[in-house]
Amino acid sequence: MVLSSLINGIVLGSLYALIALGPTLIYGILRILDIANVAGLTLGAYTGLKVFEATHSLLAALVVAMLASAAFGYLLQRFLYRPILGRGPLIPLIAGIGVFIAMEEVFRLVFGPYPLDFPATVPLPTVHVGGAVVTGVQLLILIVGIAVLVGTWYSLRRTRLGLLWRATSQDTETASAMGVNTGLVIATIFLIGYALAAISGVLLGINYNTVYPTMGDIPAYKMLAIIVLGGLGNPLGTILAAMLIGLVETFVVAYLGFVLPRDAIAFIVLIVILLVRPQGLLPGESFGS
Amino acid sequence: MRIAHAAWRKASFAAAIALVAALALVAAACGSSSPSPAGSSSGGGAPIKIGFFAPESGFAAADGASAHDSAQLAVKDINAAGGVNGRQLQLVNYDDASDPKQAVTIATRLVTQDKVTAVVSGSYSDQTLAAAPIFQRASIPVLAAYAVNPGIPATGDYIFQQDFNGIVEGRAGAVALITNLGAKKVAVIAIKNDFGTSLVEGFTQEAKALGATIVATDYSQFGEKDFAPILSRDKSKGATGFYMAQYYSEGQQFINSWNTLGFKYPLVGTEGIDSTTQFFEPVGAKADGLVFTTPFNRDSTEPAVQNYIKAYTAAYGHAPDMVGATTYDSFLVLAQAMKTKGTSPSQIRDGIAATTNFVGVTGTIQKYINGQVVKAVDLQIIKGGVPRQYATLDDPQLITP
Repeated sequence: MVLSSLINGIVLGSLYALIALGPTLIYGILRILDIANVAGLTLGAYTGLKVFEATHSLLAALVVAMLASAAFGYLLQRFLYRPILGRGPLIPLIAGIGVFIAMEEVFRLVFGPYPLDFPATVPLPTVHVGGAVVTGVQLLILIVGIAVLVGTWYSLRRTRLGLLWRATSQDTETASAMGVNTGLVIATIFLIGYALAAISGVLLGINYNTVYPTMGDIPAYKMLAIIVLGGLGNPLGTILAAMLIGLVETFVVAYLGFVLPRDAIAFIVLIVILLVRPQGLLPGESFGS
Repeated sequence: MRIAHAAWRKASFAAAIALVAALALVAAACGSSSPSPAGSSSGGGAPIKIGFFAPESGFAAADGASAHDSAQLAVKDINAAGGVNGRQLQLVNYDDASDPKQAVTIATRLVTQDKVTAVVSGSYSDQTLAAAPIFQRASIPVLAAYAVNPGIPATGDYIFQQDFNGIVEGRAGAVALITNLGAKKVAVIAIKNDFGTSLVEGFTQEAKALGATIVATDYSQFGEKDFAPILSRDKSKGATGFYMAQYYSEGQQFINSWNTLGFKYPLVGTEGIDSTTQFFEPVGAKADGLVFTTPFNRDSTEPAVQNYIKAYTAAYGHAPDMVGATTYDSFLVLAQAMKTKGTSPSQIRDGIAATTNFVGVTGTIQKYINGQVVKAVDLQIIKGGVPRQYATLDDPQLITP
């Protein structure tokens, strides 16, 4: 029971980390809580499902979903966020929430109100680890999750893009004065942030075998709790926070039952941690440096 | 370069405005919040306006669509058969977006502006409960198609419930699990809203009366995805039978967890999972052996049932579910009431109250007691991924609210 809860918690935490990583990168650079990112998740799930139905290739589904969501993210930053960036944090936040709600209804009008199943079989075996069962889908989530998290860490610490992201997130004006094309950096981060959302959307769809217009509701507010808990804009903090919440949720349900709404647990963890560490788990925007 | 950039900005701004305008047009065209008259006003006299509301957008949009589609089909069928006393029915439809506040606004509008003669609620209990007092004060009869909260008909003598209430259905679930399937120590996992709590109330009463032990009762939230931990806990407490009072989305995840754990215990569900497109098809044979309580018997030999299934499938391209079936029935009951007693609101009320042994698509309505329907509860079993007739519970003591 301990081992299987541990595995379930880590799988859930990986999903949460994937969902919250894109918005964290975007927050780090623009100081905007980008709720519309979750619309990118649902868009990715629907696109992935449609491509999968046409091609029966999970890889093609993932790639096209990432492209579609990235394009959506690019358009959003270009035509929604950039024009209103100078007006304080609240206006972009509300605009993002507006896009998120409007997109839910667009998905309903385009794909219909009924949940669709995502009948993908994952080419991975079910593994038995000392009494606990890891299904192929869970294994896929773990592998993709770890690959993406390591890739993000590497990009931010070791590549030129990472350097530009850190420079822009520390001080946009100074970075700009030093010759950094901040517009290009912002656009690139949105492309990456929304491609990550698409991956999360496809994995969510496969894991729960369901894709529906409001599938982003719960990820939207859970992502908020995770980003704040992680220290606002700190990718490593976000990953830690995601794992913490995934594990606490799983263990609470396993040992105490549904004593609390699962989603309340994330916020209780948030409140407790913020009382002790008001700056979040890892404050600042550096990648754990 | 600068000028070109400015021009590009202007052009992109215009494009953005055009996009927003296009979206607004789409929204207006599909405008679920504007009344959409269905059925023409041919025939003698002005059409009879029937108000209708359902969650056609938001998280419950799937049920809203099922209910609304069936409402349109019912009005079309009634009008095609000559309407009521030569007059056509006209549907006045609103989307409540699963929001009780919205339902109050809609109810006020239906009463004061649209001046409807009768109302069918195709919505959940929260919205129906919020709207009911407004109709009661205006003396407009209401049939709640599938909302199960016992408080709805208690609002007043103009409010009726078309589906058996949660208490009755919960009792029937206990009979199925304990008497029919032979479970002695049972665990209850219900959704935390008035649908779940009223089912659990009825289930618990009857299960105790039948001598079973309830080892655990747990409430899960909307959108719960992982039932494995709670099922393992229930097993360790000695449960050998399970009552699942969940909706189809949560029910689907429940069955996934159930199969991951390899459970083979007796399992009873409710009408909350009664949907071909959202439960039986996606879950398939994985749910074989599951017995559930419902008013909608697809195996019924009644022509009304088979005609409805055929007409709905032809019109909308997928099989109807229980939510649609009870909505369709609500309109049939209204039409019948108008034919027998007259078409004024108070005559319709009297007509509904006087309904006896009316054969609809969700079984035979024996009568209404204090606004609550009395009809047999059907038990269905899933075999090869398809729901099949299992038993009918018609003990008067059990089915009388």
